[in-house]
Amino acid sequence: MNRALPEMLHCLNMPGNVAGGGGSADISVLERQRARMKWQQDQNFLIGNHELNVFSAQQLHQLQGSVSNDPGFAEYVTRAVKQDPGMENGWPDVGKFGGDDHLGYGACGYGNVSGFEMNYEAIARTVSCSPTVAAAISEAAVTETKGKESILPEKLNSAVGRESSKKRKADKNQNLKVVAEEDAKEKRIKGCAEEGDSKITEQNSSSKANISNNNNRETSTDTSKENSKVTEVQKPDYIHVRARRGQATDSHSLAERVRREKISERMKYLQDLVPGCNKITGKAGMLDEIINYVQSLQRQVEFLSMKLASVNPRLDFNTENIFTKEIFPACASTYPTIEVSSEMANPAYFQFSPVQQVVSCCGLEMGITPPDMALRRTTSAPVSIPETFLDPSCFNFSYARIFLYFSKSKPLQPGTLSYKTSIAWSFNKEDQQHFPLRHLQ
Amino acid sequence: MASPSISNSEANSNRPRDSKRKKRRKTGADAPTGPATNIDRSRWKTESEQQVYSSKLVDALRRRPAAASPESFPVPVRGRAVRETADQVLAVAAKGRTRWSRAILTSRLRLMNNLSRNHKKHRKVRFTGDIRSRKPAVRKTLPPLQRKVRVLGRLVPGCRKLSFPNLLEEATDYIAALEMQVRAMTALTGLLTGAAAPFDRLGSGLS
Repeated sequence: MNRALPEMLHCLNMPGNVAGGGGSADISVLERQRARMKWQQDQNFLIGNHELNVFSAQQLHQLQGSVSNDPGFAEYVTRAVKQDPGMENGWPDVGKFGGDDHLGYGACGYGNVSGFEMNYEAIARTVSCSPTVAAAISEAAVTETKGKESILPEKLNSAVGRESSKKRKADKNQNLKVVAEEDAKEKRIKGCAEEGDSKITEQNSSSKANISNNNNRETSTDTSKENSKVTEVQKPDYIHVRARRGQATDSHSLAERVRREKISERMKYLQDLVPGCNKITGKAGMLDEIINYVQSLQRQVEFLSMKLASVNPRLDFNTENIFTKEIFPACASTYPTIEVSSEMANPAYFQFSPVQQVVSCCGLEMGITPPDMALRRTTSAPVSIPETFLDPSCFNFSYARIFLYFSKSKPLQPGTLSYKTSIAWSFNKEDQQHFPLRHLQ
Repeated sequence: MASPSISNSEANSNRPRDSKRKKRRKTGADAPTGPATNIDRSRWKTESEQQVYSSKLVDALRRRPAAASPESFPVPVRGRAVRETADQVLAVAAKGRTRWSRAILTSRLRLMNNLSRNHKKHRKVRFTGDIRSRKPAVRKTLPPLQRKVRVLGRLVPGCRKLSFPNLLEEATDYIAALEMQVRAMTALTGLLTGAAAPFDRLGSGLS
């Protein structure tokens, strides 16, 4: 059964974790746990999880309603006491354990009701809020009262549903820790009893949760020996983590493992991205490489932007040159550049496309043709050019895009004309093998 | 008009391939990433992104007066302006999904709104001197890993006080975006320098 393992875990952990108390406490605690387990199983057998929740809530309401109802309360308490024999055995030990806790075994009677009721109020309130918080508070209640009151918290714990062994351990650890920090808690308990405020109990529970986490770290060595898988169910918005076989199961190490895995996964991505990082292992070296790479990229961007800034005004200047010069020399200017730039120029293309280019250039650089015609001419020739760049060459695509942009937006401006010529030229440079075929399309 | 048809054809030709790439991206990228990371890692590598970026960049550069006027500003100032526009266009291309892109865009707004006031405030803060009262050169040598994390945080815009795993993620996206930016800008400069070059060789080319 699912609960058997956690219980066993619990039992196994207990001996190692008993801070206060002597050897006799171990046995009594074990007995108590077993009895509690049996009791809980009975409870669960009788009532379902949800029903138990409702049942406990009802009980709480009943109790709240009948604060002064001694017989009812006594009945309930006695019933609880009967059903949990382990508790009886544990009472003297708890009394010993608890030391000078005024809410010890002797407080079975009405004198304990105030604190008990306060806890019930807290529990009742928290039951509506969230079951996990209720569990935490129930644990707090357990630690504070250390009496039969723990029955209800236990019920609540089971009512919560998936009771993780970590929770139980936390419960036990809380008990142990509370032994050490009784005085402070006594004061807090008194304060609670006086004020009847659930907030303090919640704070206590949260602080105790922290303490339990600290304790869990200590118990990690013990838990690591365990072979069971433990699901960690804390607040609903937590990431559910499953501890692997043979690994520590407390919340801290689990969270750390999740964090480490996230970091390593992202470092792997960065390794793929940053060139030359395959040989380097370790975060420090990787970070060095990443920083260097980012800096180099940023420097490159700066350099390119300077270059762009220097080239930009020249562009306008040159377009005026285009207009002033004759057509043929202007067109001829494209030839040498084509030759020069494309070392692998296809002769077939060289015959075919430059003609078109020249035509388009002429049409453009004349400046005489109306804008639409110019557009059409330019678009007729390079219509296929964008299609030619279907191969994944980013260089070409940027050119194609720029060309399209200009042809769409401002056809008549001098800047665009030069852009078009240069683009046509640069297209030639880039794509050699595709031109002869695709121009025909 | 022929141009819309061209753009449509090109877009159509690009779309099936991009959709394929996107499908591949989705299956590849979503599987390893947990609930927190949902940024595509390969979106900066696609050509369409580069096209979008370069077209936007050209548009921004044409609109910007500083870059176009050679007389009023020296080259370094213009270069800085170009760089800023390039970064802003990159941030726009990122569609604000990443922290660094939002930081770039908001920093620009901040600069535009508070030009002089902030500088003065900062200066005042700096000069309230505790310099002499402090003991000289007493600095905690943080573990080297932490120092490097801080340096990386300063490099990536808007990521100074970010947790380490998130910082790594932002850095991943930022590096990919920077690479695309470099590619687009080299293409653009090559294009422009290519346009300028032919007219210099007029005399020699004819022979």
